[in-house]
Amino acid sequence: MKKVIEGSHAVSEAARLARVQVIAAYPITPQTHIVEALSEHCSNGTLNARFINVESEHSAMAAVIGAASGGARAFTASSSHGLAYMHELLHWASAARLPIVMAEVNRALGPGWNIWTDQTDSLAQRDTGWIQLYCEDGQEALDTTLQAFRLAEAVNLPVMVVLDAFYLSHTFEPIEVPDQETVDRFLPAPSPRFQLDTADPSAFNQLVTPAAYMEMRYNTQLAMEEAQRRLIQIEKEFETIFGRSHAPVEAVACEDAEIIMVTTGTVTSTCRQVLADLRSRGEKVGLFKLKLFRPLPTDLICRHLSSAGKIAVIDRNISFGAGGIFAQEIRAGLCNHEPHPPVFGFVAGLGGRDITPDTLVEIYNHTKNNPAPSEETIWIGLNQETVEAWSN
Amino acid sequence: MRDAIMDKQLPLFIPHSSTTTAVNKTGSWRFFHPKYEEKTAPCSAACPVGQDIPRIEMLAARGQLKDAWQTILNENPFPAVCGRVCFHPCEGVCNRANMDNPIAIHHLERFLGDAAFRGKFRADLDIRPSTGKKVAIAGAGPAGLAAAYFLARLGYGCDVFEAASEPGGLLRWGIPAYRLPRDMLAQEIKRIERAGVQIHCQHPVTDRMLVDLKKDFDGLFIGCGCARSFMLTIEGEEFAGDGLEFLNRLGSGEKISYFGTAAIIGGGNTAIDVARSLARLGAAPLIVYRRRIQDMPAFEPEVAMAAEEGVRLMELVTPIRIRETVGGSSTAPPGYELILQKMKVSGKDTGGRARVVPDGDATETIAVQNVFVAIGAVAEDLWQFPDPEKTTDLPFSHCRLFARRMPLVYGGDLATPVKSVSDAIASGKQAAMALDTWFQHGTDAIAERLAGCRVGAGPALSMEIYLGKTRKNRTSHTVSYDEIVSDYFQPAARSVPPTLDAEQRLRSFAEIESTLADTAARNEAERCFNCGICAACDYCRLYCPEMAVVVEKTQRSINMDFCKGCGVCATECPRNAMALEEEIK
Repeated sequence: MKKVIEGSHAVSEAARLARVQVIAAYPITPQTHIVEALSEHCSNGTLNARFINVESEHSAMAAVIGAASGGARAFTASSSHGLAYMHELLHWASAARLPIVMAEVNRALGPGWNIWTDQTDSLAQRDTGWIQLYCEDGQEALDTTLQAFRLAEAVNLPVMVVLDAFYLSHTFEPIEVPDQETVDRFLPAPSPRFQLDTADPSAFNQLVTPAAYMEMRYNTQLAMEEAQRRLIQIEKEFETIFGRSHAPVEAVACEDAEIIMVTTGTVTSTCRQVLADLRSRGEKVGLFKLKLFRPLPTDLICRHLSSAGKIAVIDRNISFGAGGIFAQEIRAGLCNHEPHPPVFGFVAGLGGRDITPDTLVEIYNHTKNNPAPSEETIWIGLNQETVEAWSN
Repeated sequence: MRDAIMDKQLPLFIPHSSTTTAVNKTGSWRFFHPKYEEKTAPCSAACPVGQDIPRIEMLAARGQLKDAWQTILNENPFPAVCGRVCFHPCEGVCNRANMDNPIAIHHLERFLGDAAFRGKFRADLDIRPSTGKKVAIAGAGPAGLAAAYFLARLGYGCDVFEAASEPGGLLRWGIPAYRLPRDMLAQEIKRIERAGVQIHCQHPVTDRMLVDLKKDFDGLFIGCGCARSFMLTIEGEEFAGDGLEFLNRLGSGEKISYFGTAAIIGGGNTAIDVARSLARLGAAPLIVYRRRIQDMPAFEPEVAMAAEEGVRLMELVTPIRIRETVGGSSTAPPGYELILQKMKVSGKDTGGRARVVPDGDATETIAVQNVFVAIGAVAEDLWQFPDPEKTTDLPFSHCRLFARRMPLVYGGDLATPVKSVSDAIASGKQAAMALDTWFQHGTDAIAERLAGCRVGAGPALSMEIYLGKTRKNRTSHTVSYDEIVSDYFQPAARSVPPTLDAEQRLRSFAEIESTLADTAARNEAERCFNCGICAACDYCRLYCPEMAVVVEKTQRSINMDFCKGCGVCATECPRNAMALEEEIK
């Protein structure tokens, strides 16, 4: 049944339908609506789960790690500083191979204190061993959350479902909310491969010496690589049951494109409109939506991007001293592949600044008018008056 | 290789032991070890009879009312009485006062005393086998009855000889019914009799009888109190009535009524009792006190209640003459003129109290219809202490033992530092312990034995400790508020039972305060920190990172194979029932 609900509630509805057993979370804007709705489900009996109140995000992650170690389907959500505070335990969750699902609503880190969207928070957790899936709209957020549980439990790795603050988390859209019976068919009760059992006591995650640590890490890497293949299988099954699908990557009009714009999250929707406008004016432009960021689908990146003339990557994030993070990753993915086109890296929309169709046209024109990137990172939409004011 | 791996089920390589972590004896890391060490609650130490208040409240909070009541009986045969008349020094030192308000300990004690009547609880008293020895007790007041109760439990045959027609002493004849209904007292005394005590009323102990007693008894406890009032020695003294005697007449059921002003000379609890009783009988009472109001020996709440009931107070005046006013015209009813010398403060007396001296020749004359005297009382001549030079005299905090061939113990008001019901009971208990030790181990053992039964640092003694029960394992350290982990407790209002207003009180001798209702009592008991004792909250076990706290049949212990000495248990114990000790290896 279609309902008009906000992006946050698309996620909480999915968690409810996934019959999560344990939720532990600490409120932080713009994530709060997700766990708020879940706490209400727990208190009014529409979800049979244990909601654990904690004093911090560090404890929230610790609690879901404990729950998952006990074999429970566990969920949490966070943003920005909350996610940063979890950092240590994010490593733990993946190395302990726990199928935890977390909704992460991208928010800028302070100072300057800012609650609006910015991808630097989730991308700063790039190396923690979490699968990362970036969603474009409310429907994708709901569907991806359901798939995330399947994927996490299939490869024993935690999954982060990433949403843009406000543009997605607080925007109401008509969303198809499936019924419980259908979801149960897609997502059966968890059957953990290992769990703490008081009847048969044993310990997990003790000391590992240099003699085995590398093999353990190699094992995690293999699972991460496997996650891409499993996600595709899960998507197929999802499509059979629900009649919808969202691919790990989506290539729109890339076959003959001279310039391909690479987007993530809600900017993709804006870019779809820009693509239609530019195509109607005869411009040979393509759109490549990157949903799956970890594991990085290098093969798909090469397949869709290597034959283009130029690539323009839009980053709503910044790795200081290097540039936009998606641009770096795309460059790295392509560099061992022949041929590989020049990659233009654009930083735009930081801290919740709008990325409008005009912004994207400006990026397209810049890419078209320059044979090669003049610099590693091109900042789009900087207010020159402000820059001049503080540089004088 | 990679494809070969992936064709099979996804491999999972994680650290996972095939045994439990129990093989890792983390106890070897330890430099400190925690231990369960129960301590003393400030209320228990301040209680003249050393009641185990934290345990009583813990049991009451759990709804184990009979067990809670029994815990009082272990130390005090009079829960319903003391819940009403004790001046509860326990509440004055309650740690809870630092958070919000002290626990209503006396209301809870009364609640438990009454619950026992209501529920017809039968006491399961621990009574030792008979020693074959008999002790005579002179006076069936609180001290004598307590001595008999504890001696009977220690295996002695006890006969109590009482001059009056009913037992109870001051409880029966001195304390007005609005503070202590007679049926409550009668029921508590019945229970003492059931413990094996024989009470012989209208059987005063006389000079001659003392001689006979030596033939039939092995020891004598004297708790005859101070029954002889001081009287005025001024002109017109014959017009002043004896306050104690007035209370006795009321107690015996005599119907008396008054009108006009009744002056009560004195400032102690008896003066207040007389004044408040007179108020109920139609008089306008006026207390005449030679010192200042703040120096009155009467307990402050009693003074406040008297004021509410319309009792007036004159301070810094002392009577010098009473003159009968004859006439009896309609405007001047028959009565007396009370001539008062004004007094003033001048330095301090030896006790540190403000000393008062006559303020020159200033006098004041007041017209009154009655005069009562309540300026203190002394023991009858027969109960003067024997010459300490001629016999072994062992003075203890609440009694005095003369170790003759037949030991003689003076107790109650004759020997206590504070003249209160609870101190009288404490006196009976101390006397019972002293006599038992004297019979079993001789004179020299008494002091040490009594010292070993102290509750905290004060004089209060515990019969439980004397009998070697688990209470003896507690340390004498008195728990302070700083040692309570107050995070575990939420502020909560103190439960107070409904009380008659002043107007209602004046209509009869009905009891002023009521007993807490069940829910209110439970809520109140739950407020108690249970300072120093294990309330089985289980935080030690829950917090132990090594799961080294073992609970077996409600007893907690620490498995030293795994305790690594982190101290979390002892630090988190909300009520300081644990301790951490450095370990020397």
